[in-house]
Amino acid sequence: MLRYALTRGVLLIAGLLVSSAIIFFTLRVLPGDVAQLIAGTQAGPEQVEAIRRALGLDKPLLTQYTDWIGGILHGDLGTSQLSGASVGAELVEKARVTWPLALMSMTIAMLIAAPFGILSALLRGRAGGTAMSVGAQAVAAIPVIWAGMMLVVVFAHWLGWLPAQGFPRTGWSTPAKAFESLLLPAMTIGIVEGAMLMRFVRSATLQAAGQDFVRTAAAKGLTRRQALVRHGIPAVGLSIVTVLGVQVAGIIVGSVVVEQLFTLPGIGRMLVADVGTRDLVKVQSELLVLTGFVLVIGFLVDLVHHAIDPRQRQEAD
Amino acid sequence: MSRFRTPRRSARLTAVGILAIGALVLTACGGATESTTPTPTGKADPNAELTVGLVLEPTNLDIRHTSGAALEQILVDNIYEGLVTRTQDNQIEDRLASSHEISPDGLTYTFTLNEGITFHDGSALTSADVVSSYEAVKTDAAVQGNTEFAGVESITAPDEKTVEITLASPDQNFLFALTGPAGLVFKTGDETDLKTAENGTGPFTLQRWSKGSAITFARYDDYWGQKAGLAQVVFQYIPDFTAGVNAALDGSVDVLTAVDPNLVSQLEDSGQFTITTGRTTDKATLAFNNVRAPLDDQRVRKALRLAIDHEALVEAVGAGETLYGPIPELDPGYEDLSDVAPYDPDEAKALLNEAGVEELDLTLTIPSFYGTTVAQVLVSDFAKVGVSLEVDRVEFATWLEDVYKHHDYQLSFVLHVEPRDFGNWANPDYYFGYDNPKVQELYAQSQAELDPDASAELLKKAARIVSEDDAADWLYNGATLTALTPGVSGFPKDSINSRIDLAGITKTAG
Repeated sequence: MLRYALTRGVLLIAGLLVSSAIIFFTLRVLPGDVAQLIAGTQAGPEQVEAIRRALGLDKPLLTQYTDWIGGILHGDLGTSQLSGASVGAELVEKARVTWPLALMSMTIAMLIAAPFGILSALLRGRAGGTAMSVGAQAVAAIPVIWAGMMLVVVFAHWLGWLPAQGFPRTGWSTPAKAFESLLLPAMTIGIVEGAMLMRFVRSATLQAAGQDFVRTAAAKGLTRRQALVRHGIPAVGLSIVTVLGVQVAGIIVGSVVVEQLFTLPGIGRMLVADVGTRDLVKVQSELLVLTGFVLVIGFLVDLVHHAIDPRQRQEAD
Repeated sequence: MSRFRTPRRSARLTAVGILAIGALVLTACGGATESTTPTPTGKADPNAELTVGLVLEPTNLDIRHTSGAALEQILVDNIYEGLVTRTQDNQIEDRLASSHEISPDGLTYTFTLNEGITFHDGSALTSADVVSSYEAVKTDAAVQGNTEFAGVESITAPDEKTVEITLASPDQNFLFALTGPAGLVFKTGDETDLKTAENGTGPFTLQRWSKGSAITFARYDDYWGQKAGLAQVVFQYIPDFTAGVNAALDGSVDVLTAVDPNLVSQLEDSGQFTITTGRTTDKATLAFNNVRAPLDDQRVRKALRLAIDHEALVEAVGAGETLYGPIPELDPGYEDLSDVAPYDPDEAKALLNEAGVEELDLTLTIPSFYGTTVAQVLVSDFAKVGVSLEVDRVEFATWLEDVYKHHDYQLSFVLHVEPRDFGNWANPDYYFGYDNPKVQELYAQSQAELDPDASAELLKKAARIVSEDDAADWLYNGATLTALTPGVSGFPKDSINSRIDLAGITKTAG
């Protein structure tokens, strides 16, 4: 187990390094630079050059890259070229919106996926099961942005129950208001993600139904359905955890769109704004943190799997 | 994951763009009427807090090094002050200086400082602070206004209350340059991190900035002049126009600036708001690349101008006035040049025929934060004369790189918001690529001219030539709509996308 964890850990670090290089160098392809934006349209070339120098943009790319990585190794994610603020501090601040949003989205997704997935598996072959299955397929295909707009129309404009935009200026010091303003965005991601997950839960449940231990249970006098519910579904749990890990990336991408749509001051919106202003030091650190987050989740999922699933353990050790 | 669509462009992206504020006016459609100023229902409350809804948040507060209307709009006069400032209709008036004098040869400017001026940290402002601030502008290319100080020979302080600036040659624009960021006075050797904090002399201090949402100012009680009429002002940044209107309707803002003309009726219908229409120096400029075929042919440029129905365009935009030359009404040298390019599609076709380019394909490069209205109108107007226009929407950073820096474009659209920026037409290196020695000479004369009226006459002549050369088309002069709740009085009306002077604003209790 330890050997597996170590090998997997080395892979994780290598993955991070490769990602950092890819992030850094591909961002440099973008036209336009932050110095020009700071200088504006009345500035002469000398002024732009002076700003470039002040920001260290005149240094060779490789030096800029190693400076950045060096900083991160010392726990410093860098400073925004535009605002002069610490990137780490701002990430933490924006995470206060994005993580609760992701968590709420995930919860909503699970609340939809688990019961409906199992139910539609149990009702396989009947009209209800087919309808659920088809419905899930349709919902999963909805673009997040459209789902968001529909929810706004219904819950904000027609019913007037929830705010359509923004996050309270007071933040989480008014928890009820903050929670309220995250509800529609979280539903937007949660419903679409939930529909995708539901199809997975359904097929995993069906698969479990075909397993020997379920059949054995049925042989001991349970009905097929009882056997599935008592013995099959708990076994499905583990694979759902795996898929959830993979879904985290999807939820982060979803939050970029949703934060934009609902003007939430989160990581997604910060990222879009920073790309637009070519605040590249900030963008690259933000992207690396997000990439790291997804990689670490993958790492943890693998470890859990490895610990629980005997077949994998034999293969690896 | 490919299921997710590209997010809608955030208006915040534009915050650094010096042209950006004008974008707000542009996305606009519909009609706006001017109403009377609000009638206060009670006595002004000195402890009142005012919430102002704005669209574009600054990216940082360092007005010394960062250009941008969003910064100037809130910081100048409120937090920082210069020796002189400008009124809503762009007239120059004394601020930190109690008086100023220009020597008869136009070379020496002598300023006398007001009494009792203190920085927000409590220290007194002296002429030495002015000298060090202006020396920095003159010597450090990274400081805003450096180019405007190119002609400054010396900055001295004969005594604690006097500042003397000497120019190498007369510069009619110099005093006006001092009304902008170049003229602001900072404490000598100040260690304040200007990106996130301040130490100005204005009637307000920076209290809090929650990035991505709001900036709060508090009254500076030791202010040297007339103290502010409000205890606190909150600038609430709402990048979405509809959200802004919603915020106004549910009472979360007292004032909403840059109202989309399309949405103004919602505010009017509620009966809770007064709408003012303010003049600006925003020039919606359709730039032609004067050095690249086919736009190096004046007949083509003229034809394009004649093909545009300017009245209809202004109607479609929803606010603003037609403008047929490079100088707007609020700047010296303005003249109605509508006779130069009247709407005449037949003449346009004839000119294109004459130039031998009947089937013309052109590309318009436009920053993506501008709405679609202008591009749509141009596409349809040009189609009527046989010109097909492809619209290339780009990020502002890309626009700066391709169009502004590398002059790689055919047609471009941006709002040039700076007042008195005619000099760009006298600069052949500017992205317009317009090079007319006569205009350059007239501009130089206008700057060297000591008498302001004579200077304006020279600018007027030069502006007419630029327009007659069809160096560009000026689609319209932007206007800005502001919605005010009753009880707010003294809120400025004109030029508020470059300056919101808060000191004279009051709000009644309740």
